[in-house]
Amino acid sequence: MSPSVRKALPVLAAAAVLSAVPAVLGGSPYQMRIATLMLVLASYAVAFNVLFGHTNQLFLCVGALASLGGYGSVLLVRDLHVFPLAAVGVAAVLSAGVGGFLSYVSVRRGFGVLFVGIVTLAVSLMLHNLLLGLREVTNGETGIVTRGLGVGLAEDPYRAYYTLLAVLVASLWAYRWLFSSPHGVALHALSEDEVSAELSGIDVTRYKVACATASSGLVGLVGALYADLNGFISPSVYTVGHVDIPVLIALLLGGMRTLLGPLVGAVLFSAVDELVRPFGQLTVLAYGVLLVVLFLVFRQGAVPLVQGALSHRLRPAFRPAGLAGGASRAEVGGGGPEAGR
Amino acid sequence: MGVVLDGLVLGLQLALLSVGIVFVYGLGGVLNLAHGQVAVLGGLATALMLQARQHPVLSGVVGVLAAGLAALLLDRSLLQAAYRRRGEERLLLALILTLGASFALDGLFTLRFPNVALSLRLTNPSVEVLGVTVRTASLAVGALSLATFGLLLAFLKGTRLGKAVRCIIQNEAGALLCGVDVEQARTVTLFASGALAGVAALGQGFFSYLGPDMGPEFTILSLIVAVVGGVRSLAGTFLASLLLGVVNAALSYWVGTYLTWIALLAVAVATLLVRPEGLLAYWP
Repeated sequence: MSPSVRKALPVLAAAAVLSAVPAVLGGSPYQMRIATLMLVLASYAVAFNVLFGHTNQLFLCVGALASLGGYGSVLLVRDLHVFPLAAVGVAAVLSAGVGGFLSYVSVRRGFGVLFVGIVTLAVSLMLHNLLLGLREVTNGETGIVTRGLGVGLAEDPYRAYYTLLAVLVASLWAYRWLFSSPHGVALHALSEDEVSAELSGIDVTRYKVACATASSGLVGLVGALYADLNGFISPSVYTVGHVDIPVLIALLLGGMRTLLGPLVGAVLFSAVDELVRPFGQLTVLAYGVLLVVLFLVFRQGAVPLVQGALSHRLRPAFRPAGLAGGASRAEVGGGGPEAGR
Repeated sequence: MGVVLDGLVLGLQLALLSVGIVFVYGLGGVLNLAHGQVAVLGGLATALMLQARQHPVLSGVVGVLAAGLAALLLDRSLLQAAYRRRGEERLLLALILTLGASFALDGLFTLRFPNVALSLRLTNPSVEVLGVTVRTASLAVGALSLATFGLLLAFLKGTRLGKAVRCIIQNEAGALLCGVDVEQARTVTLFASGALAGVAALGQGFFSYLGPDMGPEFTILSLIVAVVGGVRSLAGTFLASLLLGVVNAALSYWVGTYLTWIALLAVAVATLLVRPEGLLAYWP
């Protein structure tokens, strides 16, 4: 097996398994919807993994960036009669720009993880109130019915599923490529210690801003597709509690700084969410408890755990994202220089 | 005139709410994102006591104590894990843990007490002071807040323990070297932060009403005040609260709720960008 094929193997395997899901579900619209929403969550988590896991940027505005994508694309089509596919692209670019700008400002002002969290949370709330307040444009809390304003994902569950799957697989592929390139080593170094990374000639600002821009673009794109497949958007579907917290939990469940962690976490989270959903407000309680428990006792996540158990049976090829596949910071730090050679 | 007065009273109430988040940050280096939920817990406890036909004053005291104990419990359980770390790690761990706790509490309140709300009605809706008609509730909340602040200042300036608390906020390592009992000071501060938030919740009950879902709003408000006032300064917190209270009341009156929220958040973000240490950080 050539090295490039071996590198791509986890992504291909995940794509193959996920492509078979609709056939297994047998076309039940409800289950198809759950599966599609799981892909949406997984894509957000891939972006958040790069933001928080690899570049230490606690962006508590994933939902807000997604809402920029969603509202941006819908309003472009509805009010400016832009071609739907182009509108989705423009909205993703808008979201990328805003994310990149937030990152640039934070890096320039030297904000630590806490301040980035506060600023992005404040931006999220501002945007939320803006969407609520601009009632003439956004219909406020009532929201907008997006049927006929998108690329037609609401009408066909299969189309929705495979479109989101394509986006997810493409983003996993890009992640895999990034972390097996020299840039991966640089990102690794800066996630360990930014000052040392800067001193060894890595342009920390550029890497952080570039990662934030790309991740925000992905979030915006998925947010726009979500607006389409959901058939309806309102400010409340993009709140911190509806997007950011599930994304954070999913990433912690699956494992930060791993290739498949976001996907595995999204699967696990969707399963838990389905279990508690019938109990209404219990979901909020469950999210909170999950977050606390995960962060206290399960910070490494499922993927590194399984990897650890299988490591002497499988070849290193199956470790997600080569350089980034370590279970803990200490382990990664130990393996870093060797792997970089 | 009425708007300014309302704003000042609202500011006093904000100060009560925020002083806890500021002190806990100054003392323990952790940002308690479940602070608003602690306040709501106090308010709900009072409301439940009132429902059980207990004496109003007793109910209020129980509510305040319940909020204090809740904050203390949070400190003794979740935050212990954070205290074992230092610097950025501690901040991040505490941030995520209290975020989780805030969601858990929010879920619990709306699940268990969906219809419990605290609304304290006074016998006279309004009185005339110096020719201006004032809501009795405003006077009550103002008096309550000022009295509580008096107590807080007396504690901080007048007692040994209060001195110790101020000491630790200035320099934790230095305080430890001088033999200050950090653990004890932390316990007292956490309890006080919760109790003060509980008083603020009672104030909210006087003003309009307090529902089980208002935790996030309280947390965000106190966060904004802490950011604008500077997270290590009591005077800063106090002035920022009054300022934001007046701005809040005036804007709500003229431009509506959504724009008010945007303006308050924008002030916080602008402060972080221009003066990350807080507008009034270098005041005593």
